[in-house]
Amino acid sequence: MRIPGPEDFGSRLRSPAVAARIGVWLGATFGICFLTGLISHYAQLPSHPLPFPTSPSWGYRLTQGLHVTSGTAAVPLLLVKLWSVYPRLFERVDVRAGRRLLLTGLERGSIAVLVASAIFQLVTGAMNAAQWYPWSSFSFRTVHYALAWVAIGALLLHIAVKLPVIRDVLTQDIDETAHDRPTAVEPASLSRRGLVRTAVAAGGVAALATAGSTVPLLRRVSVFGVRSGDGPGGVPVNKSAFAAGVETSATSPDYLLRIVVDGQEVGTFTLADLRALPQRTEQLPIACVEGWSASASWGGVRVREVLAAAGVGSDRDVGVVSLQEAGPFRRTILPPNFVRDDRTLLALDLNGEPLDLDHGYPCRLIAPNRPGVLQTKWVTALEVTT
Amino acid sequence: MTGRFALGALGALVMGYGAVLALTRQDLGQLAEVTVWLAVGVLVHDGLLSAGLLVAGYAGRRLLPAAWRAPAAVALVVWGTLTVVAIPVLGRFGARADNPTLLDRPYLASWLVLLCVTVAAVVVAGTIRSRTTDGPPAGPVE
Repeated sequence: MRIPGPEDFGSRLRSPAVAARIGVWLGATFGICFLTGLISHYAQLPSHPLPFPTSPSWGYRLTQGLHVTSGTAAVPLLLVKLWSVYPRLFERVDVRAGRRLLLTGLERGSIAVLVASAIFQLVTGAMNAAQWYPWSSFSFRTVHYALAWVAIGALLLHIAVKLPVIRDVLTQDIDETAHDRPTAVEPASLSRRGLVRTAVAAGGVAALATAGSTVPLLRRVSVFGVRSGDGPGGVPVNKSAFAAGVETSATSPDYLLRIVVDGQEVGTFTLADLRALPQRTEQLPIACVEGWSASASWGGVRVREVLAAAGVGSDRDVGVVSLQEAGPFRRTILPPNFVRDDRTLLALDLNGEPLDLDHGYPCRLIAPNRPGVLQTKWVTALEVTT
Repeated sequence: MTGRFALGALGALVMGYGAVLALTRQDLGQLAEVTVWLAVGVLVHDGLLSAGLLVAGYAGRRLLPAAWRAPAAVALVVWGTLTVVAIPVLGRFGARADNPTLLDRPYLASWLVLLCVTVAAVVVAGTIRSRTTDGPPAGPVE
């Protein structure tokens, strides 16, 4: 048994003409993932050099739904793309080639980085959407963000290296053989065009099979969606009161919402006090970073009106503190443009029912165009620093 | 040429930024685990998955009548992809007893239905094609 070489792969489908065409689709999905991922990261920063807009209220729902859906659609594109170039993995390197050897090494090294980071991004992203964290030490968020830059950089470098070939094969007919390996001549059952169409169709099917977690119209066809969309008050739950460890504190009769300015308590509200303030209803989506989302009717009090009732203005960052005792999102920052927005509520009701304990009872933050992790539940204090 | 060089340089720069992020925001133990995950992803793809596809292709050419091969190849790409995409929900690895709204669909039943539909589609397409054509469809002329 010998190690195979590229000449052992005879299918004429394994051609740059196929790889480049699927590559265009793959590049588009990765580009969408990268840009929407940047938006999500920016939205989650504790402070924004450029204010993150509050409108449209469904903006984050759209970008994060696109992020997860295009990542899912990229799976078959990446697999078929790698299949079409697989023989190149077995190209022999001439170790006596001097300077050429260095260039070959750099090129193959950059491809190794591209393939490894692309697979890593799609695998960990899919795991995160299903809240499956089988690794023991690293943070999904940190690594998925860092490797997104690595993957997109390696992709740009790869396109630059291959540009002459890409340009040639994309301007020629798909069945042109000028750039093929000499042995890639065996006819296959599928045509080249058929294979490209199959890969793109598979991407579409994968997207349809999962996107129902964020597109209500697809709920019935998305048999592999991470959520059916059911839940208390008609909305799914991301983290339960049990998981957050707030079952006792959130249901305590002594519950108070505290308004704190520079460490000094300037006002407190019982749940009855909050109910006595003017009640507002807003139709707003809750859109999770993991890609699922749901629109709902939220009833409650405007954050700026609660602050005003305690004599506090709405021109500063507001720290929104949860009863949750641990976790990175125990305290989130609500920037001034969100504080001032009339749609930003401390919600007491969801779809006409009192908020379920798992949705943040007694009260939770709901603001337009804000990532789900920052829509703090079980709110116990609003903190302002002047 | 200049544009191509600039694109390559930009790519290297962006890659470098990502590497700096990965190296500075994690401790050594975390970096080691990430490296293992990166390597295992490539090994599973280049070793297991690709080898499996080679075997499947070889078996398909040997065992399937010519008219059945194209439908089988299309079915393998679509069904295989959906299976890979569905692994996290099929295993319900992230399910939590305290949150019944997560992973709340009958995934295994859906997957079995999908398998049956795929096989049925291949059988129908293969039968029709073997009746309407004699032997393999004419491939593109080399």
